[in-house]
Amino acid sequence: MTSRDVDQKEHMTDTLSNIAFDDLVEDDRKGPYVEQITADLAGRLAGPIGQPHDVALAPPAVFPVIFLKALRASMGGIPAGSVLAKQELRFGEPVPVGESVRTTTWIGEKYVRRERPYVVIRFDVRRADGALAVSGSKTIMWPTGPGDQA
Amino acid sequence: MTDRRFPGISDVVTQESINAYAELSGDYNPLHVDLEIAAASEFGGTIAHGPISFQSLFRSLTEGLDVEALPAGSSVSVTYRAPVRPGDAVTARIVRPADESAADGALAASCVNQDGVTVLSGSVLLPPA
Repeated sequence: MTSRDVDQKEHMTDTLSNIAFDDLVEDDRKGPYVEQITADLAGRLAGPIGQPHDVALAPPAVFPVIFLKALRASMGGIPAGSVLAKQELRFGEPVPVGESVRTTTWIGEKYVRRERPYVVIRFDVRRADGALAVSGSKTIMWPTGPGDQA
Repeated sequence: MTDRRFPGISDVVTQESINAYAELSGDYNPLHVDLEIAAASEFGGTIAHGPISFQSLFRSLTEGLDVEALPAGSSVSVTYRAPVRPGDAVTARIVRPADESAADGALAASCVNQDGVTVLSGSVLLPPA
């Protein structure tokens, strides 16, 4: 096992949450969570993943990552057994590399369709001055449905 | 009809790129990074984080527009159709819908793997130039 493996194992327990569908409260806003758009983060998401590039503005791929980090902070991450179904991103003001952004997340909607439970998690990312940088949502097929224990 | 502004960018997804995404995002879900646990799952091996399949689409947009960040008013909406696995070559396709009158200027976007399987599909809306 490599040091990277060890590092990953240590992260696993706080990557996955076990929040039951029934315990999710719509419109309960979490955050804002502050995250800096570092040159490393922006540069390694500007081209093929992980390959560094020199950029002055946050590329679009930064924002799903910022959202994932906020989701970890707000609810411990995505539950084990969940399936990512949809994602939507609406872009506002570009964010310069080096700036810190503030992300708020909330449950937008939860519903059952064709006997499968879905949860829509919404988010917005704001610049230091409050201007909207990105908003969007992620729809997740939740591992538990109404009445189920997590 | 393919929108010629946007190149058909292809990205080969590797376990190394998945690990890099885990490091950047903090998402170390075992389905992405643990070979043993993933092998025992319904997927039979590791799969990429969902947003990784976005990458070639984002790159096609930014390279086609010659920008680092998408302009204000842009939006991207996708449905994930199939998992992406290490070794998959994911290619973005951005086309004008056949019935342009039915759309508000939105472009149809998809990412397909080397076998022609659509891994995500959706739409891209760009602000007027």
